[in-house]
Amino acid sequence: MPCEAFFLPAQHGQRLCIFHGAPGQALLGLVLFVHPFAEEMNKSRRMAALQSRALAAAGYAVLQIDLHGCGDSSGDFGDARWATWVDDVVHACHWLRGRANAQGVSIESAPLWIWGLRGGCLLALAAAAQLDETCNFLFWQPPASGKVLLQQFLRLKLAADMRNGQAQGVMGALREQLAQGQSVEIAGYTLSAELAMGLQNQALAPPPGNAAPRRVEWFEVSAQEPPRLSALPSAMLEAWEQAAGHLQRHAVPGPAFWQSGEMVDAPELLAATTAALSVLAP
Amino acid sequence: MNTLEEVLTILDKVLNLEGRALLFREDTALLGAVPELDSMAVVALIAALEDWFGLAIDDEDINATTFATVGSLTHFVGTRIAA
Repeated sequence: MPCEAFFLPAQHGQRLCIFHGAPGQALLGLVLFVHPFAEEMNKSRRMAALQSRALAAAGYAVLQIDLHGCGDSSGDFGDARWATWVDDVVHACHWLRGRANAQGVSIESAPLWIWGLRGGCLLALAAAAQLDETCNFLFWQPPASGKVLLQQFLRLKLAADMRNGQAQGVMGALREQLAQGQSVEIAGYTLSAELAMGLQNQALAPPPGNAAPRRVEWFEVSAQEPPRLSALPSAMLEAWEQAAGHLQRHAVPGPAFWQSGEMVDAPELLAATTAALSVLAP
Repeated sequence: MNTLEEVLTILDKVLNLEGRALLFREDTALLGAVPELDSMAVVALIAALEDWFGLAIDDEDINATTFATVGSLTHFVGTRIAA
């Protein structure tokens, strides 16, 4: 099935989008992919493309979007703001739904899924609270919180400085700069204070009230044998179980492809994801 | 598996060494000696250790001494598990 690349007009310019149409008549649903943060986006391009194609072949209309300041979209990473990214996700969801409406496909027959990888899961949660329809979530390796993800990102600077023997006090200095509203430079990326704070404040918690998802398919790849899900606070998992109509957490064997030095695939993750979304009413 | 074997397994998976890390010894140098161990890999390794052993590693504990050799890293993990 061919995919179609186009620029979607948005705030501060345009966003590169790739649309994978579903062949045949029956559309199972709409899927928006939200990429992870900074270098993880580049590392995961191939897996995102492979899964997008597989879901399209399974009957989903899939859209990938490069957020503001990322990939081939307008702006530099240093211009990126959390609020703009959330707006980008909402905007892309509207585009998918608008396209389905134009084809006479109803919301009931084709639910909307937001599929996030790592930081993309957190953006999905923030965007879902602003949507005028209920969406499902497909999570790939959701971080325990935005705070943890930000810490990991800041640690890239710590790790780089460590090699030069200058690691002492690096983290404190970075956090101080951000707290004062200044951008910081990490691994070739300029991180604005607004983006850092937006990320830090986003919990891995179900969106409130009407935005609570009907279905959540949650995947983690694991290097352990047998594969194991990460330990999360029980209160967090209970909140998810109560909020979601159906929550399934899957652990599959595979490498951490979003941070791997070389391009690696996680074929078990691809297969398990396609299988989960091919089941209509679990 | 003892802690050393677990650390070597994690190193092997995180750095994609395809079994080479399993041959490392305690005195095998890591930081600056293993080219795959760049900044992103260090951060990934810390996250993998935290996840595997159920630890929360302090930023203050992340320094060149800890990541100098297989032995120093294993010793560090051992003290965190015991803590």
